[in-house]
Amino acid sequence: MVHPRHNAPLSDTALRVKALESLLIEKGLIDPQALDALVDTYENKIGPHNGARVVARAWTDPAYKQRLLEDATLAIAELGYTGVQGEDMVVVENSPEVHNMVVCTLCSCYPWPTLGLPPNWYKSAPYRSRAVIDPRGVLHEFGVTVPDTTEVRVWDSNAELRYLVLPMRPEGTEEMSEDELAGLVTRDSMIGTGLPKTRAVGGPAKADSQRRRK
Amino acid sequence: MNGAHDLGGMHGLGPINAEPDEPVFHEEWERRMFGLFIATFAGGHFNVDQFRHAIERMNPAHYLESPYYEHWLHSCETLLVEAGAISRKELDARVAKLEKEAK
Amino acid sequence: MSVLKAEMVETLVKTGASCRVDAKVAPRFRCGERVVVRNINPLHHTRLPRYVRGKRGTVERDRGVFVFPDTNAHGHDHKPQHVYSVRFTGRELWGPQASERDVLYLDLWDDYMDPA
Repeated sequence: MVHPRHNAPLSDTALRVKALESLLIEKGLIDPQALDALVDTYENKIGPHNGARVVARAWTDPAYKQRLLEDATLAIAELGYTGVQGEDMVVVENSPEVHNMVVCTLCSCYPWPTLGLPPNWYKSAPYRSRAVIDPRGVLHEFGVTVPDTTEVRVWDSNAELRYLVLPMRPEGTEEMSEDELAGLVTRDSMIGTGLPKTRAVGGPAKADSQRRRK
Repeated sequence: MNGAHDLGGMHGLGPINAEPDEPVFHEEWERRMFGLFIATFAGGHFNVDQFRHAIERMNPAHYLESPYYEHWLHSCETLLVEAGAISRKELDARVAKLEKEAK
Repeated sequence: MSVLKAEMVETLVKTGASCRVDAKVAPRFRCGERVVVRNINPLHHTRLPRYVRGKRGTVERDRGVFVFPDTNAHGHDHKPQHVYSVRFTGRELWGPQASERDVLYLDLWDDYMDPA
């Protein structure tokens, strides 16, 4: 937990939040321990590692992938990822013909159970305004180039469906385990503003020690 | 409503500037605000559409310039006051009290 | 009104609160149908962005019946209706300068569209 600098004055906003919380506690309308549990859940437990497991499963199990594309909510629930802001899921698959990208132009709708809480850039005006009118420019800013022959498909999550991109499995990963594959799946690749890591780059440091030797 | 939140297609709002390895929360007040919203929503004080609309009713300049969770603060304050669960007077008094204590 | 307690958090998080409605409502549109988005400019809450109003698209998928936010934000009228993923070409939305290959999908309620 990050502690504020000792003696640093609370900003106006911080004071207002504190005021609101203290009033609601006094009136018996909220339980601060519930707030602690919520923060812990979304800061430490739920995150893109969940979505990465869904993707890795789809890459290794064609029948699962079929179920995922037909009824994403149910298929994702098989792995235990359900609930708030993921009640009605849609998975959209990248291919050489189609590159998918997800945005919420009106606010910040995002699939929490699989990706956790969205990063600031996703919720901010530049991405929200440009993703729909200049998706290739946005991809370029993220360092992603999509061939001219590939259709860029932008999904504006303006209703209660929540979208998850199923990125293409990187080349040369046939020997990798599901765990290792999950390590290649970045959060941005599941939003559509990035691509999975490649075999050459390798998985995160954590996976290196677990990598099986041939 | 045709508010400032309806951003699709607007120009001139700047580069995306994605922060690498961004933490889930940048400030302690963001953590508390996140929890406050979920708790009051779960408590049945407002529905998600009312929550979004209250954000849309923010002053447009304030909306565009404020950090994200400040939108949630504005919305919860507005809806809880409109529902009669708290009053503006109480909120302002509590802020003043906390400000004084912090000095 | 109820108070969320710490021990209820896990269940709440895992269950969520779907806006899907279990109601027998007839869809107004079929998959593959061409539609034109209504040019509505309400003062009230809507989830219909300005950039798609008056534009023509194709209904690609019926996502089922959901609460209608335009009414739900202002009372407790759920007005359940079908939501569809509707496909728009970039050029339809942004003009001839847009890429000829790129498309956009929005989820639109029955009340947001008319047959083209």
